[in-house]
Amino acid sequence: MRRWAHRTHLAGRLLAAVALLGGCGRAADRRAPRPAGTVTVTDDAGRVVSLAGPARRVVSLAPSSTELLFALGAGAQVVGRTTWCKYPAAARAVPVVGDGLSPNIEAVAATRPDLVVLYRSPLNETAAAQFARIGIAAVLVKQDRLEDIARAARLLGTLTGHGAAADSVAERMGAALRATETTPGRAVRLAFLVWDNPPMVIGAGSYLDQLAALAGGVNVFHDLPAASATVSLETIATRDPDVIAFLEDSATSSAPAYATRREWQTVRAVRERHFLALPADLFGRPSPRAAEAVAELRRLLQRGSGKWR
Amino acid sequence: MALRWLALAGLALAALGLAVVLGPAHVSLADLWTSEIVRNLRVPRALLGFVVGGSLAVAGAGLQALVRNPLADPFLLGLSGGAGLGAVGAIALHVGGPWALPLAAFAGALAAMALVFRLGLVGGAELDPRVLLLSGVAVGAFAGAVTTAIVSLSEAAQLRNAFLWLWGGLSGASWDTLLVLCIYVPVPLLVLFAAARPLDLLALGEEPARYLGADVTHVKRRVYLAASLLTAAAVAVSGVIGFVGLMVPHLCRGVWGHQHRLLLPASFLGGGVLLVLADTAARVAVAPHELPVGIVTALIGVPLFAVLLRRWATT
Repeated sequence: MRRWAHRTHLAGRLLAAVALLGGCGRAADRRAPRPAGTVTVTDDAGRVVSLAGPARRVVSLAPSSTELLFALGAGAQVVGRTTWCKYPAAARAVPVVGDGLSPNIEAVAATRPDLVVLYRSPLNETAAAQFARIGIAAVLVKQDRLEDIARAARLLGTLTGHGAAADSVAERMGAALRATETTPGRAVRLAFLVWDNPPMVIGAGSYLDQLAALAGGVNVFHDLPAASATVSLETIATRDPDVIAFLEDSATSSAPAYATRREWQTVRAVRERHFLALPADLFGRPSPRAAEAVAELRRLLQRGSGKWR
Repeated sequence: MALRWLALAGLALAALGLAVVLGPAHVSLADLWTSEIVRNLRVPRALLGFVVGGSLAVAGAGLQALVRNPLADPFLLGLSGGAGLGAVGAIALHVGGPWALPLAAFAGALAAMALVFRLGLVGGAELDPRVLLLSGVAVGAFAGAVTTAIVSLSEAAQLRNAFLWLWGGLSGASWDTLLVLCIYVPVPLLVLFAAARPLDLLALGEEPARYLGADVTHVKRRVYLAASLLTAAAVAVSGVIGFVGLMVPHLCRGVWGHQHRLLLPASFLGGGVLLVLADTAARVAVAPHELPVGIVTALIGVPLFAVLLRRWATT
């Protein structure tokens, strides 16, 4: 669900390009762990990635892996990011090398990385092969669901020399996923709406569905196996969610534009203006802060449960 | 002849009835008139689908006669490209409001239409079919290129969703959209119906049509503007729905012949029936998922077309 977090502006790109030029010289003296023998892992695309020692100059081309690298304490080794990698705040100081989806190989290579982290997708597998041709190691990481985070943490931890930190992140994730706190009363039934025309909702394939379940809520479209699906408005009306949740970049509580459209008034949650804006920063992607996201969602659901039914 | 009209009218009523009765939500027949879902979602959606399908088919029939080319469809003349650019531009510029997307698509389609029309005047002979077709394709390609450029430089997510909207669907149907369309559509529709006789003459070629007393220049201009305005309105409420405008006029020619006095009303009813049936299938076939209606019009329309083509070839 990274797509929500994707926001880019031309001016920002120009600034980023300037920052990139300035950042090249500075990045060389960043502290990094000493090489400690060959590091070999198998990435999420089944490729064997081998480094002479822990990576010292890492370019991260996905917001989820950038956040994870900083969480592991490898932030100082990150020398390139995408325009969408805005968390944590320290990541914003890292030069931008592109928007991630189809990486600009030359712009990445110009930062002289010894490791490029890519989101696992067919397009990025092609990019990884391109990086291999110019002698730059690339690792493909899948981070779509909560259970992916522990493995991704161990993968990146091993490659950057932060194995111990990765173990502790993985343990915390495991604990968060096992925690089954019961909520008093009837569970809040929610629908995550991605887009209004045609109406697109989140199904069981998304980690947002997992977050909802862990927070004591029920995704009314849990029966759809896909991460997201186009459904008809009357299906939403029939499922009758208590509240409609959506991701928002700025934490405003304003109702979405479709709330005033007449056809949407058939949905009770819209008619009664039961909306839940979730900050995309915390909820926009599976991250090591998943436990925090679950706790926040639980708090929001409990606060709203009284007025939503 | 009367039997054919009766059959078509019966088909139209049956299609509308089916669209109201069937849906992913279960509504029993007894609750049909009290159900909120039926009254505010299914009925306006069925009627909107009918008007949109009919408008597209009439626009297609008119344009096919105008450019004397059986391949002409309402979106051939750059309108879909212009509408797409309008919609994507509105999202990229963060234009808000519940009507932003349809209005921007409408404006984009009109801008494309104006540009194609202006280019069509360049050839000397006003609205020369060849120049018109070429400039339509060129403007469409240009708008498509600009759209792709915006998409690749901007928010990936929202724009992808805008494309989903653009590929057609009646999800946004409501009594409001139906009302807007019903106020707007009759004028261009009547202009086209009134041009039925000159369109018949135009089929003989521009020179013969002129000798037989048709004011060719004015007819072409009126037909072009009316068909484009109809299509732009259809895009605004339902995105780009293919095949209806291309195929329905051909299907109707097979049954009603080439006289536009009969062909245009038959196309309107036929287009309405096809789109309403396609939309019902789109809502019900894979429920709770919903298919883009343009896919279903192609899935229903193309085999139907193939069967009729074989029948015409053998007779």
